[in-house]
Amino acid sequence: MSFLREVQLEKEFGPSVVFREALGFLPNLIRAQSLLPRVIEAQAKLEDAVRLRAGALSRAQKERILLTIAADRRDTYCVGMHSRVLSSLGATPVQIDDLLNEYRGAELSAPDLATLQFCLKLSRNAPAVQWEDIEALRVSGLKDQAIFEIVVVTALAIYLCTLSAGLRPELDFQARELPWPRAASPARTSRASSSADIHRGSEWKGPYLPAPYLSPHTFAPFAILQGTHGFMPNFFRSQTLRPDLLKAELEAVNSILFPEDALSRVQKECILLAVSATNLNSYCVAVHCNLLRGLGISPEEGDQIAVDHHESALSNADKALLDFAVKLGAHLTDFSNEDVVGLRALGFTEEQILECVVVTALNNFANTLQMGLGIEPDFGPPAVYQQNKVHLSGGALTPMQREGVVHLVDTLRDADAELVAQAQGGKLEAFEDLVRRHTQLVYRTLLAILGNPADAQDAMQDTLLSAFKHISGFQGRAKFSTWLVSIARNTALQRLRSRKNVESLDEGKYEEDEDFRPRQVRAWQDNPEQCFSKSEMRQLVETGILALPPKFRVVVMLRDIELLSADEVARQLGLSVPAVKTRLFRGRLMLREWLSPHFTTSTKGATQ
Amino acid sequence: MITCDEFFAEFGDCLENQVSPEIRQELELHLSQCRACQVLCDSSRKTVKIVTESSSFELPQSVSDPIIERVMARLRTDRS
Repeated sequence: MSFLREVQLEKEFGPSVVFREALGFLPNLIRAQSLLPRVIEAQAKLEDAVRLRAGALSRAQKERILLTIAADRRDTYCVGMHSRVLSSLGATPVQIDDLLNEYRGAELSAPDLATLQFCLKLSRNAPAVQWEDIEALRVSGLKDQAIFEIVVVTALAIYLCTLSAGLRPELDFQARELPWPRAASPARTSRASSSADIHRGSEWKGPYLPAPYLSPHTFAPFAILQGTHGFMPNFFRSQTLRPDLLKAELEAVNSILFPEDALSRVQKECILLAVSATNLNSYCVAVHCNLLRGLGISPEEGDQIAVDHHESALSNADKALLDFAVKLGAHLTDFSNEDVVGLRALGFTEEQILECVVVTALNNFANTLQMGLGIEPDFGPPAVYQQNKVHLSGGALTPMQREGVVHLVDTLRDADAELVAQAQGGKLEAFEDLVRRHTQLVYRTLLAILGNPADAQDAMQDTLLSAFKHISGFQGRAKFSTWLVSIARNTALQRLRSRKNVESLDEGKYEEDEDFRPRQVRAWQDNPEQCFSKSEMRQLVETGILALPPKFRVVVMLRDIELLSADEVARQLGLSVPAVKTRLFRGRLMLREWLSPHFTTSTKGATQ
Repeated sequence: MITCDEFFAEFGDCLENQVSPEIRQELELHLSQCRACQVLCDSSRKTVKIVTESSSFELPQSVSDPIIERVMARLRTDRS
């Protein structure tokens, strides 16, 4: 029996079928979570995308990573499970023994050896992973998608080991004795005591891998994220090398974190915050502090939980829940049945304890991904923060440093670079690929300035011809998309000049003085989007946006329709960030005025 | 407590989730006591949500394809 009560899973339960078919058996690790079938479904989705589905790495390569990490963490259960799977994939007992004893002695190719070396570093001491480690993988011959998968499989290995430590399922197979000691045991981390611990300082050079642009209009999970978060977290934006995997991951995250049938959202966010802080993961600390704020927890309380939850205003039971999660999340090997018994004594149900284990495992998955991919912070530190507080970690860099890094990073990660080089060499197909990637961006920029779809379509042809004519002069100092938008902007402005009474898009001297005050003061309905069909809604928005003065329209379209960040809009339009923000705010307020009559409480469903 | 004008001055950043916790607290306090700003805040957030989720101004492939094809044909002709 595992630590927690189990119930019989139905034979036809979808995830059980998936595991039986893919692995040849139903792991006891799955049975140990039978009290909450939704978390098993989440795990099945994640494993299907990360471990089972074809990608850049072979099944055997992935199982080798899983096994090596499990052995390094002395997880007898996972070692048994992965050894069996690896053997079913054709590995000989000698090859498996080599991995368990000392992978460097195993007969593996240079990229495979480099892979295992990297995975162990990421598993043992994730904050130490740097750009150079990713470069070493590239030098060994691995492509970016393979490197991406290596990071995600390592994260999955840690997810499984955390589950196994927290649930202690019965062994699926008699495990072989693990050699002792290993070359090095996993590094132990302790709660951050200073900013130096948690920050990676100015040498940080993430994100390490390119992330092709995915539009929320074609990739539905991004539209949902934008709705739930109000912005697109870099955490997800940085994983677009495998959209299928990203989609599965988002579904898994949603079904673990959103239902409140066991723990509450706040309890789960507190777990994520406390364990991320222990793992010295400044990115995740900032994200969860922010999400807790949205759930009604004060910023000070969030900071206190990150620094030391014992001093927070949480109930004693919730503090014990966090003790449990932190011990499991960061000190796997010390964890025991005593810890589970302790939570039961405080009144936690089996389902709640199970969910705490799963959320902790998910946290370790996310922390590993963030560190392995070098995902950059979503928020800069507000100026009022002092640099030596842990909660500031959202901005590992000061705003000025960050701005410099963002520019550097933008050019380093330009996913178009290879195609641009080919197009500059005269390869027309490469140019066509580039154009197709950015069609919507170019069209929206033209439309935003010209205010008329027919003119925008007309100007598109001129823009593309002009882009090809000048592409040899593009030196890669900005992203290709930024450069392309500047060509579109110039083309549109040239056309505008031939019209009469043109309003300039340039920053005016009186930018700040142009006052605009909201006039509509009637309350809106609770769910305005339900008043109209999707196409009616789109029509309404399009009409409203096209009615905006050009300088507001262009900013609103790039920020709220194309979903670029304010910094990016500023770069693309050659404006200052404050000017972009002012115009965005005014444009949004004007749109609100336009939409108000359709959505106020007394005009339900009325169309004009 | 801050005034409606002060609220309005910070509100643009608030919509972008870019105010410090201290200012956010001030804004929330004001909101809890000012009906007009509550309406402004609620309807502005809904506006942003409606716009971002509207999938507006998608250029259909049936329109973009012929444009791209014309451009590529022209480039090929120029080259030969």
